[in-house]
Amino acid sequence: MTTFAEPTAALSSSYAAGKTRKESKGRLFVKWVTSTDHKTIGYMYLITSFTWFIIAGILALALRSELAAPGLQFFSMEQYNQIFTMHGTIMLLMFATPLFVGFANVIMPLQIGAADVAFPRLNMFSYWMYLFGGLMAFAGFLSPGGAASFGWTAYAPLSNSQYSPGVGGDLWIIGLALSGIGTILSGVNFITTIFTMRAPGMTMFRMSIFTWNALLTSILVLLAFPPLAAAFLGLESDRLFGSHLFDPANGGAMLWQHLFWFFGHPEVYILALPFFGIATEILPVFSRKPVFGYKGLIAATIAISALSVAVWAHHMFASGQVLLPFFSFMTFLIGVPTGVKFFNWIGTMWRGALTFETPMLFIVGFLITFLFGGLTGIILASPPMDFAVSASYFVVAHFHYVLFGTVVFAMFGGFYFWWPKMTGHMLNDRLGKIHFWTLFFGFHLTFLIQHWLGIKGFPRRYADYLPTDGFTWMNQVSTVGSVLLALSMLPFFVNVWISRNSPKVTVDDPWGYGASLEWATSCPPPRHNFLSMPRIRSERPAFDLHHPNVHTEKLH
Amino acid sequence: MRKAFTSTLALGTLWVATFISQGSAFASGGFSPDASSVNQQSHSLWIYSWIAAGVVGVFTAILIIWPVFFHRKKNEDFPRQTQYNVPVEIAYTIIPFIIVAVLFFYTAKAETKITHVDKSPATHSIHVNAIQWSWQFTYDDAANKPTVTGTPEQIPVLVLPQGQKVRFTINSNDVDHGFWIPEFMIQIQALPGVENHLEFTANKIGEFPGRCNILCGRAHSQMLFKVKVVSPADYQTYINTVKVA
Repeated sequence: MTTFAEPTAALSSSYAAGKTRKESKGRLFVKWVTSTDHKTIGYMYLITSFTWFIIAGILALALRSELAAPGLQFFSMEQYNQIFTMHGTIMLLMFATPLFVGFANVIMPLQIGAADVAFPRLNMFSYWMYLFGGLMAFAGFLSPGGAASFGWTAYAPLSNSQYSPGVGGDLWIIGLALSGIGTILSGVNFITTIFTMRAPGMTMFRMSIFTWNALLTSILVLLAFPPLAAAFLGLESDRLFGSHLFDPANGGAMLWQHLFWFFGHPEVYILALPFFGIATEILPVFSRKPVFGYKGLIAATIAISALSVAVWAHHMFASGQVLLPFFSFMTFLIGVPTGVKFFNWIGTMWRGALTFETPMLFIVGFLITFLFGGLTGIILASPPMDFAVSASYFVVAHFHYVLFGTVVFAMFGGFYFWWPKMTGHMLNDRLGKIHFWTLFFGFHLTFLIQHWLGIKGFPRRYADYLPTDGFTWMNQVSTVGSVLLALSMLPFFVNVWISRNSPKVTVDDPWGYGASLEWATSCPPPRHNFLSMPRIRSERPAFDLHHPNVHTEKLH
Repeated sequence: MRKAFTSTLALGTLWVATFISQGSAFASGGFSPDASSVNQQSHSLWIYSWIAAGVVGVFTAILIIWPVFFHRKKNEDFPRQTQYNVPVEIAYTIIPFIIVAVLFFYTAKAETKITHVDKSPATHSIHVNAIQWSWQFTYDDAANKPTVTGTPEQIPVLVLPQGQKVRFTINSNDVDHGFWIPEFMIQIQALPGVENHLEFTANKIGEFPGRCNILCGRAHSQMLFKVKVVSPADYQTYINTVKVA
């Protein structure tokens, strides 16, 4: 313990000194943009990605309002294509992926007892790549031809210069390639940090599940993003220099689909795993129990990561060009470890002492929502059934259940859970509950009905439909739901605003039953995270510290 | 708590009931059991998979909801800090594996039949060519091989003989498209530089919508066609008299 005592004394005094001086806004700005502190960079990631979430949400409302009635009311077909392209692009690559980087940046070093990430300056560099790459892709809206309109999947040859000549497409491709490099560097940073900077006693099998998932997600980033970057640069070379990489005459149509989905499917797990991790952090705290089947859960996550690189062609079942039985079987198989995770989460709650503060509420909402998305995923994993509904609103509904259910529910769970750790203030629980229930009902009202829309034959990415198609009332239900969903953000904004004045959190663990190391330091933590390090003798170091007399049953 | 649990269960049952009654409003799970030879393979798989998904889903949902109501904090005592239960963990790993193995068995059986294309020349053969933003249908079994070309304003009609197998050759002139007939539970991509093949039999006389479902540019949502299934005699008359357009 003495090894930690000396530097911390100096730290605590400088920290205290920093706190007493009231900083001007300009100074604060300079401090943030020049920071190498993983927490500050993490907050910048969280704020930026959440801003993109709101922007892409507004784009979604534009789509829903256009679909509320047959005929074109608000947008031209070309504008509609730009809007859904940017909605998908922003949600996946500028919101959800960097949201993982944000949470991992803030939480992961704390959970392993590190002072920072391994490469703090590289960390900030990643952020600038992400910010400017994202702005570049979005800037297409200001260009004469408008933003990219070939869908976030950018299927060649639609995305080449012949069929999508606008500069918006070029901005999109290069912007995403740049921001993708930022993501790759973050992956490198996190893997190095987890392998080399764990505190004494923090063995791999004492790491919290969120950190495990951040590690596996980073490995998937390294597998998935470089092929995407290569595909993007190849596509841009086709557009700009007239190369023939994705020329249909050379099999370019299928080459693009393979390259894109070789990125695209692991990407789904890059988005899901960290948020499964957040769920796994929150459930034990509000169940007052350890994670059930800790090692089995890690094994399941490793299995999911491994399988996730062998299922990409299930996005291409209808292409007529892939080996259906192989990809179908692999996709079914990935349902097994996912099922294991469900039972780990249920086992954690089982015979616990549950309370329902807002974070827990969001995670139960996640479990119910993701359960349904998982089941429709099993349906789609079967090519005969996929042939019936692929590329329809059934698929749109499915992936919103999976991705919104995971990313957004767990994100808000994580916000409410770690808000005191990040800001030193609690969010209001009553407003949080209003937020949850409006979000929950708004979400299901919007997306449940879309399953039937797909079964009835409504294809995705359609700007319009005929009054005789019978899609009108279902689209209207969905649109009403989307408005409720949008309104659910208001209590959250109010909550964030008023939380500045809520009493300062003075304890390390305001929830009382936190397990991982971030609950063994102050709220917010000092510059280099820990003034003293508790003994790490299990996967629940903070819990052991605060409840030394509670006996955890071990595996014998 | 018991009351709250019962009311949640009632609400959940109502939800599932709405789901099912909505489903049956569209005939049997939203799809016809025999509109085409594809439906005859896929429809039972669709129904039984939903039953299986329903059973697994309801069972898991009850397991989630149960502790939410009955394992709440009652006093300051800590619950037993159980971390592992190996027999239970093995069970919940093996059971899902068996479920997906069964699903895969029936999937493989159905998909082999759906994707099967005969080696011998087909009696009826239609060439489907996708173009931005409409379709061209060429009836190869007619003497003069007539081609019908649609436009977004004047959507083309694909005429099929009832009860007789048709071989489709599908490709695209420009970008990726999707050849989708929702009523027949079948779709296949129309790709530039690639020839796809598909064989099926339409069983039900009538008109059914067909739609492009792979984003293909500005007027993607206007790339519609109509499938018209007629008696074999009417089909012969049609392909021999249709004007080449």
